[in-house]
Amino acid sequence: MHVSMKGITKRFGSFVANEAIDLEVAEGEVLALLGENGAGKSTLVKILYGFQSPDEGTIEIDGKPVAFESPRDSMAAGIGMVFQQFSLIPALSVRENLQLAFPALPLVPSRRGAADTALLANLRRLAPELDPSALVADIPVGQMQLVELAKVLNLDSRLVILDEPTSVLTPIETRALHERVRTLAAEGRSVVLITHKFEDVASCADRVAVLRQGKKVEDRPAAGLSATELSSLMVGGAKVSAASRVPLPTRNVPWLEVRGLRAGDAFSSVTGIDLVVAPGEILGVAGVSGNGQDVLGACLAGVREVEAGEVILDGVAVHRGVGGVPDPQQVGYIPERPSVNGVAPELDLSVNLALKGLHTLPFWMGARRPSAREALPMLEEHDVRPRDPSRKARDLSGGNLQKLVAARELSGGRKLVVACYPTMGLDLAATQAVYARLFEHARNGASVVWISEELDDLLRFAHRIAVLFHGKVLGVVEAAEADRNELGRWMMGARS
Amino acid sequence: MNILLRKRRELSERFRWFEGTLSVAAPALVFLLASSAFFALLGRDPLALIGQILNGAFGSTYGIVETLVKTIPILLCALATAVPARLGLLSVGASGQFYAGAWLGTGMVLVVGGSHLAMPAMFLAACAGGAIWALVPGFLRAQWEVNETLATLLLNYVASLLVDWAVYGPWRDTSNLGWPATISFPESVRLPVLVPGSRLHAGLLLAILLAVGLHILLSRSRWGLELRVLRSNRKLGEGVGMSWKAGAAATMAIGGAVAGLAGILETSCIHGRLQSGIALNYGLTGFLVAWMSGQHMLRIVPISLVMGALLSSGDALQLFAQLPEATAVVLQAILFCSVLATGGLLRRWRSP
Amino acid sequence: MNAFEIILGTLLSGLRSATPLLQVLLGETVTERSGVANLGVEGQMLLGAFAGFAIAATTGSPWAGLLGGFVAGALLSAVHGALCLWTGANMFASGVAVWMLGGGLSAFFGIPFVGRKIDGFVPPDFGAAAHNPLLGPILRAATPGVLVGLCTWVACGLVLYRTRPGLRLRAVGESGESASTLGIRPSRVRWAAILVGGGLSGLGGASLSVDQVRNWIEWMTAGRGLVAVGLVIVARWNPWWALPSALLFGVVESLALRLQTLGVGISPYLLSTLPYLVCLAVLAWGSVRARARGAMPRDLAQVFSSTE
Repeated sequence: MHVSMKGITKRFGSFVANEAIDLEVAEGEVLALLGENGAGKSTLVKILYGFQSPDEGTIEIDGKPVAFESPRDSMAAGIGMVFQQFSLIPALSVRENLQLAFPALPLVPSRRGAADTALLANLRRLAPELDPSALVADIPVGQMQLVELAKVLNLDSRLVILDEPTSVLTPIETRALHERVRTLAAEGRSVVLITHKFEDVASCADRVAVLRQGKKVEDRPAAGLSATELSSLMVGGAKVSAASRVPLPTRNVPWLEVRGLRAGDAFSSVTGIDLVVAPGEILGVAGVSGNGQDVLGACLAGVREVEAGEVILDGVAVHRGVGGVPDPQQVGYIPERPSVNGVAPELDLSVNLALKGLHTLPFWMGARRPSAREALPMLEEHDVRPRDPSRKARDLSGGNLQKLVAARELSGGRKLVVACYPTMGLDLAATQAVYARLFEHARNGASVVWISEELDDLLRFAHRIAVLFHGKVLGVVEAAEADRNELGRWMMGARS
Repeated sequence: MNILLRKRRELSERFRWFEGTLSVAAPALVFLLASSAFFALLGRDPLALIGQILNGAFGSTYGIVETLVKTIPILLCALATAVPARLGLLSVGASGQFYAGAWLGTGMVLVVGGSHLAMPAMFLAACAGGAIWALVPGFLRAQWEVNETLATLLLNYVASLLVDWAVYGPWRDTSNLGWPATISFPESVRLPVLVPGSRLHAGLLLAILLAVGLHILLSRSRWGLELRVLRSNRKLGEGVGMSWKAGAAATMAIGGAVAGLAGILETSCIHGRLQSGIALNYGLTGFLVAWMSGQHMLRIVPISLVMGALLSSGDALQLFAQLPEATAVVLQAILFCSVLATGGLLRRWRSP
Repeated sequence: MNAFEIILGTLLSGLRSATPLLQVLLGETVTERSGVANLGVEGQMLLGAFAGFAIAATTGSPWAGLLGGFVAGALLSAVHGALCLWTGANMFASGVAVWMLGGGLSAFFGIPFVGRKIDGFVPPDFGAAAHNPLLGPILRAATPGVLVGLCTWVACGLVLYRTRPGLRLRAVGESGESASTLGIRPSRVRWAAILVGGGLSGLGGASLSVDQVRNWIEWMTAGRGLVAVGLVIVARWNPWWALPSALLFGVVESLALRLQTLGVGISPYLLSTLPYLVCLAVLAWGSVRARARGAMPRDLAQVFSSTE
């Protein structure tokens, strides 16, 4: 199938997710689609699959223009998509999930016999030991990915879209997947592979297209591309102005100690985390998101219960569960997805900004109730728009909510600051404001745990960098002496 | 459609009262249309009937008094629903708490009826009874996530049977040859009457005071603010040290106490004795009123009045239009559906 | 009477008592499996009971009555569907509204039928078998209403777990989003589930008025619909478990009645609380386990947890 997308533009309110993107996939070609989080890859692909319609632009399949109203149309046209999440139904069995997606399923589907064998044929080739009667909830994540792939192969799609397929696979499963992708191409199918892993590109891509902030910035054959070239293509962009690293006073007094921390659930977890952070030290935590960062951050901030281990701040245990709930004013915590996790949408900005100190207010709040007077300076400093403390939080855009949460958490004196991707999606000015605050806390003696995917910023401003992969800390190095490529490999799990 | 949406946005930006008026006028209009259709389908003249409803409710002193009499338990039951709703708890248990309060309050009267502390003791007991009845489902929800709507509904039936048991059994006044009931309550536990010769008692003032008091509590206190935070984002609230479970217990207990108060007021001031079936539809009506008021304490007062009028007009319709008692329930249901439908649509059709 | 006869008798009368409840339970299970909760089943049951009785009384055909009950229940459930799926109203509030509507309408139109009695299903002459200590009671208990209930039970179980529409229904209830990626339209499936659930609730009500008690009083279902909603959780949304759950309630109910007739000193009113209390207790126990093992359809769980 030859797919041609021309001039695709998609806006969500004032946010431009895709801007005039041209993309072509030839028959039997594997195209790797790269870009950071928020670059627009998912949106583009959702448009191709029929989940969204573009505001401008056309899609042509084999030279004929098409307009998809829903996934049904794209599936009928021969496009199949293997999702990163939310497509398999955990409470149903593997077989039932395959049946749901099987075209022309009979009214009473059989559980054995020729029809059943045909249904399971693709699955058996990918994962021969998998029991089709097992519930999807009970099988390992890597095998879920293979079931997803089998589902799509059953559709006999001529274009297969794979969204971050190897992010949850073991090295062996990954190799099997790469082989399958090459076989698909050899069969004359087209493949679009969304990834940010170099090994995916190196093993099976014929061409590479890179998206950055909604625009396509690169489109070239994959041959001869190196890892360094690739990552600079993805990141690019203006650098934060040349501030320098905060000087570190001494490191002999531990301020934050983490011992044997284990927490989390089936979706995200961390185990065996041991960390020591000095007062005034900035510890960067690098790693691709989805490796347990959300759990780590929440446990350190005292928001999430730990299963085992402890978190000790200034000599006092502060992990949740020990003796109730730790004092919220000690820790500044910027959670993952702050627009969802960090705000109370129905309440106004003044209240949202005053949340950490609410418990100090008297019962009859009177004049001490959260007011615009205290809120305005915080809104000003972090450039939150609209600058109206009486607005409800739900009226703000995602980016402004992020700034709001940063304003709240980074104000005042904190002993510990835990920031998860604090500048994701923010523009340069807002990023600088956040960094300024973050580093000021470090200067004032707080420990700062800074979880980020911006490796370059971590290298410039953090004192040490730890790499988190599959819930474990693979290593901790001094930032000044760290080798960028080595860290990059650790982030992809390749600890040599 | 887009034109209508844009017009709406223009009007709501120009006039601050626009959205509020729209949210009242729209369901009212739908209700009038739907109920007229109902009457018309029955072959009756809708305008005449609506006229009779208004006349019956407000057209005479007797009518007004009866409307106000019905307003008292409705108002209290609405408050009883609205307080837990502040945390997002959907309790439909006002009638069960009503019965539980009536039961325990009556028990107290039977024990200390003669003493001059009887009235406060009775009120305390009634509030306790209602609070306990509400704390059971509250606890079940807080501890085990048992759906409180279901739990309160089931307990409604249990409470009603509890009262039946008492009234047909151990507390029955055998000297009364009429329907089963307890002995008459002494005068010392009845509140004074507001309009001489009528049934309208001072409980009306008490109910209004409660509405105002709860409004002040929920809007001016730190606790009220914490409830709003927990309702908006439970995890966030718990992250800064608030306790959703404690909030659930407290709001349910307060709601239950208010409903229990309603029960004992009906028992002592209206009927003068505990008997079966006194809660009628007050629980559900209260739920409806709370919903229509957007769980806002002050708005509950006038809307309870409207409901009181609707329910007392049921008597008028029975007498003058030969329509059955159930008409009031049907009208209430139509009103509720109108409110839900227009509320949902107004929310959806917000931006072009 | 020996112990065996007593147990058999209790079970059979429990089954008769449980049949209306079973229908509603199955109906609500189907609805909730699609991710929609419908508290209005009580109203649908009442409307079905009235419609069934009215039709049976006027036409003389109890079968027409059962059918009429089904249709009435389905029509009322369409109101719930319209409120939830078209206007986006809160599911629980909408259920209460439908409940009021069903109760009010049935009380309103049912007045001419209060106090009337019908014959219901006239049992055929079983001849010698009627005196058999084992067959006799079974034949007497197996009224058409009960048989329809049992057939519904088997049909629900088979359709839900063995057929394509049942598979799609379960998929939509677990995740409407995932289902739509597969090209299924969740709102259509939910509409169908609501209507089927409504019809079965109406059928349950008609079973009660036409087959079991054979008369009509307003609000006669006395909360059985709500008990059914609770029992759906206890049965873990599995229609196969619906029969034992309904039977539990039915047996408790008929035991309470039996204790009354045996002149046990406990007040009949207190005994009548037993079914509700047992239901509440089992609901609490069931909620803990259902949540722990994730038996609740996931989309439904989100509705139950949030209350917007």
